[in-house]
Amino acid sequence: MSLLISAATIGFFLALMVLGVYITFRLFDFCDLTTDGSFALGAAVAAVLLTADIHPLWATLAGAAAGCAAGMLTGLLHTRIGVHGLLAGILVMTALYSVNLRIMGKSNVPLLSTPTLITLAEEFAAHRLGAPENVMVLGWAVALRDVAALVLGAGVVVAVLLLAFVFFRTDLGTAMRATGDNPVMVRALGADTRNMLLAGVAIANGLVALSGALLAQYQGFADVQMGLGMLVWGLASVIIGEALVRTRRLGLVLVGVVMGSILFRLLVAIALRWGMEPNDLKLITAVFVLVALCLPGLLERLTRRRGAADHA
Amino acid sequence: MLKATGLTKTFNAGSPNEVRALDGVTLGFDDGAFVVVVGTNGSGKSTLLGALAGEFALDGGRIDLDGTDITGWPVYRRARWIGRVFQNPFAGTAPGMTIAENLTLAARRDRRFGLARALSRRRRDLFVQKVRSLNMGLEGRLDHEIGSLSGGQRQALTLLMATWVKPRLLLLDEHTAALDPKTAAVVIRLTREIVDRDRLTTLMVTHSMQQAANLGDRLIMMHRGRIIHDIRSEEKRRLRAEDLLERFEDVRRIEALDASAADLLRSRYV
Ligand SMILES: Nc1ncnc2c1ncn2[C@@H]1O[C@H](COP(=O)(O)OP(=O)(O)OP(=O)(O)O)[C@@H](O)[C@H]1O
Ligand SMILES: [Mg+2]
Repeated sequence: MSLLISAATIGFFLALMVLGVYITFRLFDFCDLTTDGSFALGAAVAAVLLTADIHPLWATLAGAAAGCAAGMLTGLLHTRIGVHGLLAGILVMTALYSVNLRIMGKSNVPLLSTPTLITLAEEFAAHRLGAPENVMVLGWAVALRDVAALVLGAGVVVAVLLLAFVFFRTDLGTAMRATGDNPVMVRALGADTRNMLLAGVAIANGLVALSGALLAQYQGFADVQMGLGMLVWGLASVIIGEALVRTRRLGLVLVGVVMGSILFRLLVAIALRWGMEPNDLKLITAVFVLVALCLPGLLERLTRRRGAADHA
Repeated sequence: MLKATGLTKTFNAGSPNEVRALDGVTLGFDDGAFVVVVGTNGSGKSTLLGALAGEFALDGGRIDLDGTDITGWPVYRRARWIGRVFQNPFAGTAPGMTIAENLTLAARRDRRFGLARALSRRRRDLFVQKVRSLNMGLEGRLDHEIGSLSGGQRQALTLLMATWVKPRLLLLDEHTAALDPKTAAVVIRLTREIVDRDRLTTLMVTHSMQQAANLGDRLIMMHRGRIIHDIRSEEKRRLRAEDLLERFEDVRRIEALDASAADLLRSRYV
């Protein structure tokens, strides 16, 4: 049970990152490698501020803001200087590795002795419930801390989802979605698609960094390596989420993306439990994304060939 | 009022496939003018419309719209004043978004995109009303993705979108060329209705001699990046499709003469 709860909690925190990947990759058709760097950036900024006794809320938001800035940098490189989108992301990601080390001063900052959003949530819950050690969830005794973290993660995700849902149905949000769909039309209707992309990449990386900041607080440390492979992880979750809802209706897709994140995290937790080598995880994730992205095209080509053969 | 002066544009300058797509085009017309543009393939019609819309930087010349010099303006900035329908029916709409969402973007062409709700009740009612005027039965499908519509339906919607906010200049580049004759006729009738109703200043490229003869109050013929005929008012009214074909035949003859002269010179001197 605690395995399930911890997987779901991490799934919720990572869902913010997945949402960011969904925005760049699906809405803007932009493969944004900044993701790996801004995830660790959010964690690094939050961790350093936390150890300096800044309130966890501000520390977390500062992490997200740093991610926005990183995304904006990538967007500027791409739209104003004309650097290829992939390269712009790689450049910023690589630079961020050094920046993150500079920010933290070392490769790993522990957060066990400072208050975090998680400990705040736990205190709040203890206050409300009269400080039990464990709570019963579906008949299982679960540590209060785990439940508080889960509820916190779910709460943040629901709030962000609602915000995203409202935003993407405003004039600006609609124009941003249309930019990925048909940029020529959006320009012909009077919007600067460069600014649309810039704003989209900034928002997405803000979410990614927020995700990193929260995860660092949950696991009790920030590490310069923790963003490694995040983009691919996010792509895998987006693909699973889209397969779950099978529609392009905005609200459902947003929910699907979160479900994809949790389900993928659960699958990984179960696979690890069954004895999968943790070191193979990234390889398997990458293969999964490759197969999921290419399989539909391959199948279509196969059936078309079969159709042609039938006609002959 | 549009005034284009001495527009020049050379593609691939300095390379073997250098093309003078616009070779000093000067053109002016008043508000409410409906100008039809004809010419052989590659004569520079689309390039002229692209230049007016701001798709690329000109090599020379200047464009004034209602007394404002817009020569250096990017596409999205001119879009506040200029409406466009493309030849490709898929170019003018966002396929993955619904009819209502596409219309809502068009309804704000003259303003900045802000944080107001995109689809309010009132706007929806307006959409239903306007879409019904197309007589295509689309008013019941406002929440369908545009990608599921036919080319003709999409082109009619694009026309509606381009003229939703009254443009100072409407650019139509062979907007019926990709449609079957019946649908093309519907879209042309719609074009005429909208242009007449709002007295839009319009520049329309076409390869159909029928359309060129029947529509508009002025006709220009382009050849090799220049305007070679400019037919107005009374003369335009009397112009028939056969007359136009004759003019095209003239162009072809001159072309052939040029070619044979070049051959002659080559055989003499090379
Ligand atoms: N982006 C470009 N790059 C290079 N050459 C171009 C470009 N756009 C147009 N041209 C060339 O400029 C010339 C004029 O092209 P344009 O598209 O304006 O012709 P058109 O009159 O619209 O022809 P059509 O009737 O076939 O549409 C052609 O020779 C074309 O090959
Ligand atoms: Mg053309």
